[in-house]
Amino acid sequence: MNEFTRSESGLHVPTKKVTRRSLLAAMGGAATVPMLYGCGVGTGGGGGDAGKAPENGASAVTGSFDWKALKGQSIKILQTPHPYQQAFQPLLKDFTELTGIEVQADLVAEADYFTKLNTELAGKTGAHDVFMTGAYFIWQYGPPGWMEDLTPWIKNSSATNDEYDFEDIYEGLRTSTRWDFEKGSALGTGGQWAIPWGFETNVVAYNKKEFDARGIALPETFDDFIQLATDLTDRSQNRYGVAFRGSKSWATIHPGFMTQFTREGGKDYTAEGTTYTAAMNSDKAVEFTKKWVDLAKNAGPTSWTTYDYPQCTGDLGNGNAMMVYDADSATYPKQKAGASAQAGNLAWYPGPAGPDGSYATNLWTWSLAMNAASKKKQAAWLFMQWATGKDAMNKATASTFADPVRASVFDGSFKQTLGGFPGYLETFEKVIDSTKIQFTPQTKFFETTEDWAVALQDIYSGADAKSRLDELAKANTTKINA
Amino acid sequence: MRPYLLSVPAVLLIIGILYAFFYGVYYTVLNYAATNPTPTFIGVDNYRSVLGDTLFWRSAGTTLLYAVAATGLETVLGVAIALLLNRSTLIGKTFERLLILPLMIAPVIAGVIWKLMFNPQFGVLNHVLGLGSTFDWLSKDRALASTILVDVWIYTPFVAILVLAGIRSLPKEPFEASDVDGANWFYMFRRLMLPMMWPYILVAVIFRFMDCLKVFDAVYVLTAGGPGVTTTTLQIGAFEDSITNLNYSRGSTYMFLLWIIVFITARYLVSVLGKAQRRAAGAGA
Repeated sequence: MNEFTRSESGLHVPTKKVTRRSLLAAMGGAATVPMLYGCGVGTGGGGGDAGKAPENGASAVTGSFDWKALKGQSIKILQTPHPYQQAFQPLLKDFTELTGIEVQADLVAEADYFTKLNTELAGKTGAHDVFMTGAYFIWQYGPPGWMEDLTPWIKNSSATNDEYDFEDIYEGLRTSTRWDFEKGSALGTGGQWAIPWGFETNVVAYNKKEFDARGIALPETFDDFIQLATDLTDRSQNRYGVAFRGSKSWATIHPGFMTQFTREGGKDYTAEGTTYTAAMNSDKAVEFTKKWVDLAKNAGPTSWTTYDYPQCTGDLGNGNAMMVYDADSATYPKQKAGASAQAGNLAWYPGPAGPDGSYATNLWTWSLAMNAASKKKQAAWLFMQWATGKDAMNKATASTFADPVRASVFDGSFKQTLGGFPGYLETFEKVIDSTKIQFTPQTKFFETTEDWAVALQDIYSGADAKSRLDELAKANTTKINA
Repeated sequence: MRPYLLSVPAVLLIIGILYAFFYGVYYTVLNYAATNPTPTFIGVDNYRSVLGDTLFWRSAGTTLLYAVAATGLETVLGVAIALLLNRSTLIGKTFERLLILPLMIAPVIAGVIWKLMFNPQFGVLNHVLGLGSTFDWLSKDRALASTILVDVWIYTPFVAILVLAGIRSLPKEPFEASDVDGANWFYMFRRLMLPMMWPYILVAVIFRFMDCLKVFDAVYVLTAGGPGVTTTTLQIGAFEDSITNLNYSRGSTYMFLLWIIVFITARYLVSVLGKAQRRAAGAGA
């Protein structure tokens, strides 16, 4: 039996002393076991198969197509609360009725969604079989083998219903979700890593009631747009000209900024073979960036550096912002009766054209992707083809599902809903042919594009535009080619 | 059953903690990233890269400034509030209960609430203070101070409650004797209460300083480290490398360097606490 005594501190400790040296030796020994085990670098829980993508499961599906083939199974999907998700939530029971497959939809707020998704996919647990993603994320999640190539699934008639009609999805959207991950390759090459589900063009929504009351004409050039936004700003009335994103995030660059940047002749990178050179410091880019930042200062939200799209659309809906330069489907819900103070007063137009008349527009597409680590790939694919199919999408457009990705649905049921949305359809039709991803695809997209947003914030805070963009371009050229 | 078997759960827990820690340290000598899922050993290249990055040093400076300012303000305000609450009036007791409310709110939720209050367009602060719609609490010049203000709002009650518990555990005799001798309140506070309270104050300082060196949640929600890199702390830098950029090895290096800073600081502060405890024991004897 060990002897115990009372220490000066009042604690009972054994009299037999454990020396610091022996304790450290024991702890070191204990720690060495996992370290030695870890020498195989079990990256992300994947064990020894690090970096190896799991086998594509499509070839295992044979026989005739049957919606009920996997009756009784269940799948889990990861989503972020969004009008698209909300439109589909009540329809999930239709899928269960059609297939006999239960769906559990887990929701994570958009601010944390990709953090959750990053860590889950890196862990390769396959906890969720299907997840919502954007096209840019394919550039990051594809190379490590976290996403299933869907081309074999689409082509396998045993796995895919004859009526699916993949080609009905707008071509620009299909190509934006394909890439071969090679530097210098354009989008539209390589695997189909996700199926577009809903999408958005970045245009201008404005307070039509105010514009009509004052007899304001819509500005056609960027300089006129700046002038109008400035004229509409009256800080004493808590009213300002135009809301657009400014937070420290890649998401600040892709909507209004990238759209107008491209219309004004800017490019993010120039490619020579497999070498990219950052071009966000070209003369045109510097001139545009100065104007954009001045627009934010003179006619934007006061707290611009914290603004994401919910704040922008919130200010439009409240009547504080007279215009918003952002996704059409983000401003669309504010026009729904009862959804905002300005519901019924809003309208849309494409925004200013470039000096050469360009309506080049950057797009975002929420898509559905299959987790490469999923253990229920066939059931996951049945869900994906149902969710991106004509029937479900037609039903979803009856609520808040804006900009369906299928031409047949857009031209059919969706158009019927647009009577109370002045200019929405005309705007869409004006820009759709020049709407695509305007960024150069590259695997360091999020890092380098967030750095771009940081540079905008620095310029907003007083840094010289030319030298700050030179610094950014130099750093990004190094990063992207590393 | 042999008594040492009782320690098995604790040993397993420690191994669990150390496993993750050493695994993280192991990553620092690899080039493991999502874009490079088959990593190789690269020695000290990550350390060279992080320590040679001006953003790291700027983040370290911001973190230190944040920690010193927030801890200092929270300590001064916390002690002052504890002294006020020590009076057993009804109002004091009511405030004592209300004071704990900020501590019951998760920092990330507090960040969201404050972000709404800071908004110049519709936030309550500018409205109540009559600052109009152009005063931006989160502009480059004010963002760090505003994030510190939020930290002070959340954690001053923690310091106050800890110090209040300390005050109430002090022996009454020295104060009664001083009172009989005609000492005034300030003299008693300076010569008796403060020396005996030091250990409690230092415990609060250590907790808060360590926490501030690791600050992430509220700052990330409020500013994401911006405008520019004005409020980028070491934790935010590590988060961006590990989670946003999926460069796990560089992020681990960031975190390990932060661990070294926190470890050294903690060792120093604990030694100061030990000395204070010995002095207080003398003062109280």
